Amino acid sequence: MSEPFPRWKAYVVPLLTLAVPGLAHWFLGKRARAAAFCGIVTITFLSGIALHGGLFAVTSPNWLFRLGGVAQLGLGSLYILGRAVGWGQLGLLDMADVMFGYGNTFLVTAGLMNMLLMMDAFDIAAGRKE
Amino acid sequence: MIQDHFLTLVLFSVLVALFFATLSHRDRPGFLKSMGKTLGWMVLGSLALAFLMLWTGR
Repeated sequence: MSEPFPRWKAYVVPLLTLAVPGLAHWFLGKRARAAAFCGIVTITFLSGIALHGGLFAVTSPNWLFRLGGVAQLGLGSLYILGRAVGWGQLGLLDMADVMFGYGNTFLVTAGLMNMLLMMDAFDIAAGRKE
Repeated sequence: MIQDHFLTLVLFSVLVALFFATLSHRDRPGFLKSMGKTLGWMVLGSLALAFLMLWTGR
């Protein structure tokens, strides 16, 4: 296994994944995997948007939307960018779309995938895995 | 409409299978085996569940 980072760096490096999916893996030298992860998470996110899924607010009155919002926060900058440009607005037409549920699933899954990537990057940075 | 549902199912299964195979395998045979198993179970399991819901809903 490669030399592990100092503990504080091992906690900071995974945060790069919040900026761009896979960026922490790129920083750790796992270039091919970083590119694959970036593509997978981004495609999942964009598919969710295309299927009229919602980007939930963590302050939503609906507890299920709040939970979804917490999962989607894992997307980091993609979540912030999406909400900033007005994607996933939960308009009446979107919610009436038969694909709305699928879109939500894609978006929540993308967020959870990115969280897993952060944990994987931590394990690599801490020397627990290669 | 059915085609949309099925294509969405396949797309989601492919993305999830690809993600977990990339995360847990660095060798090609392991990657392909993991991807195939995950994809197969997700697609077949989803179809089985969908038909079960259809039949029990009648």
